[in-house]
Amino acid sequence: MEVYEVFRRGGHREPFEHCGNVIAPDADLALLLAKECFLRRQEGQHLWVVARSDIHFFSDESLLELAADKSYRFASAYRDVVGKRERAHERVRELQAS
Amino acid sequence: MSDSFDALVTALADDELIIGHRHSEWTGYAPHIEEDVAFASIAQDEIGHASSLYSLVGGGSGPQVDALALGRQPEAYRNAVLCERPNRDWAFTLARHWLYDHADDIRLEALEQTSDSKLQQLVTKIRREERYHLLHADYWMKRVAQGPVDARSKIIPAMSAAFAEAGGLFEPFEQEDQALDEGWLPLPSSVLLARFMNWATSALDELGLPGGSEAEAVIPAEFVASSSGDLIAGEDAPVEEPVLPAGVGGRRGRHTSDLAGMWAEMTTQYRENEGARW
Amino acid sequence: MTYEEKLASFTSRIDAGEKVEAEDWMPDDFRKGVLKFIEMHANSEIMGALPERECLPAAPSLKRKMSLCAKIQDEVGHSQLLYRVAEDLGKSRDAMYQDLITGKSKFHNVFHYPVHHWGDVAIIGWLIDGAALVTQAALLESSYAPYTRVLKRICSEEQLHLRHGEDITLEMSSGTEKQRAMFQEALDRWWLPIIHFFGPRTVVEKDLLLRWKVKTRTNEDLRQEFLDRYVPKITELGYSLPVPVPFRQDGHWLIRDEDIDWRPLDAIKRNDGPETARRLGARKEMYDTHRWVREALAEPSVRAA
Repeated sequence: MEVYEVFRRGGHREPFEHCGNVIAPDADLALLLAKECFLRRQEGQHLWVVARSDIHFFSDESLLELAADKSYRFASAYRDVVGKRERAHERVRELQAS
Repeated sequence: MSDSFDALVTALADDELIIGHRHSEWTGYAPHIEEDVAFASIAQDEIGHASSLYSLVGGGSGPQVDALALGRQPEAYRNAVLCERPNRDWAFTLARHWLYDHADDIRLEALEQTSDSKLQQLVTKIRREERYHLLHADYWMKRVAQGPVDARSKIIPAMSAAFAEAGGLFEPFEQEDQALDEGWLPLPSSVLLARFMNWATSALDELGLPGGSEAEAVIPAEFVASSSGDLIAGEDAPVEEPVLPAGVGGRRGRHTSDLAGMWAEMTTQYRENEGARW
Repeated sequence: MTYEEKLASFTSRIDAGEKVEAEDWMPDDFRKGVLKFIEMHANSEIMGALPERECLPAAPSLKRKMSLCAKIQDEVGHSQLLYRVAEDLGKSRDAMYQDLITGKSKFHNVFHYPVHHWGDVAIIGWLIDGAALVTQAALLESSYAPYTRVLKRICSEEQLHLRHGEDITLEMSSGTEKQRAMFQEALDRWWLPIIHFFGPRTVVEKDLLLRWKVKTRTNEDLRQEFLDRYVPKITELGYSLPVPVPFRQDGHWLIRDEDIDWRPLDAIKRNDGPETARRLGARKEMYDTHRWVREALAEPSVRAA
């Protein structure tokens, strides 16, 4: 018997989400059981089961933290666009005047 | 609507109710917890099908579902004997689940051609739900039949016992001739039985389980229902109380004591509180 | 890191309100305590299926037959979720199941009692699930994250069960005199066990689970919430409550500790309740006679036909 992790998705616009796990001897039964354990109220239209042993993760999750300033990767780093646009327009007017 | 239509639908509904009731007895006790959840769904499906079918009886007028399901005397039930048998153990339950759902599929497939549009629509809906039952039953049968020695030693006698009575699912119901004439029933039970036996023989063979030779599901020709529903026995058989082949009689209200016990438990609360709402 | 350093860092994580995952380092006391707690919860869900299961064959309508079956199915599903969480803490389901049927581990007191009729279904669905919901909602903030994730689903299903139970209660309460008498009779039997359900006062300084924030509230606090919420609803329906009778004071419905007879609960803690032996015996029989199913499931894959 193996642990199968169960993922479900509400529709094609949604991501698959983890919703639990079942114990089963193979993927066929895992699917049959997961359907009633996790979708019996139609919580999804798509169903995956994945053997837990096929799932891999970092043992040290601090690797996932940003160790240095990576603010340039975020929209929030470009918040001053309004002011900058204003200054650019100002500059254009300056150039046109000269 | 006609009496023969009601007779057809009642037989179908009673099968579903009685086997659904038996299946629901596993809820909380099944041998694997995930399976417990799955099998409870199958039980609910069958009871739900019964409810929908009862609502078609008598042209669908009035609050009749519970009156039909819980308000009749045991001899008024028209389920096949196989459905009323106690669960015994998981092996018998599986064998019956597998045989019943395949038999049900065969008759429902035929009923998709019924002349009644409401029944036709319902049958199509039921068949959609039954797809899961078939997958479930097939998976388990395969795993158990081809599993370790112990599992095989359990499933072989269980299958023999269940298969011996499975033919009763195709025992002609009362007024079947009229139902055929009027188009409610597209094919006679004898044709459906032949289809079922064909399927079962090869499916059992594929699973390596003893089929026709060790477990015979046959309704001998001398037992046929007359149009009035009385049993006509062959000349050699005694006219009163003929001895029926295994699993036969349910469609004419001749049940085993297994139904009596179950009926008492199932209906007492309803019958003792006539008119009460719950 | 030494054990002490790990423990100190774990403790400060807990104190800061952080959550613990199954694969995180945790002190043995924490692991054992959480496992035992969740195992007891899982046991209670699967044992809790049995009293209602006994009422299922006699359901008075097909609608109730299906909805009660679905409700019991949910309870079994909760045990599935909880056993999976417990298993990931290092104890196999089989080991937990064996401990349950041999009486080594425990399950909630209310599931040691008999059921007689449909009034029991109303009480279990409304008041016992109501009590369970109060205690389970309090655990949604537990420090053990895998537990909180399954509790989210469990609580939302319990909300549904509560409606289901209240629906049955209201239907019976507006029904015949016999139906009302059934409800009152069941209430008289269940009231003390329901009060017991919350347990005696918590000894805060001794409660390790409270210290680790696995639990977040004391027994008496939860009991009080239940009384304030449900006593008015019960009395509004015209039913009376037996001993220990709640009384109104300062805007609360109170029960005096000295009015509670704890002896039945003590017996149940020794697995000596009215239905303990029968229900565990039935489970054990099922377990013993179905070894072959576990073996069939243990085969890695079905041979091609």
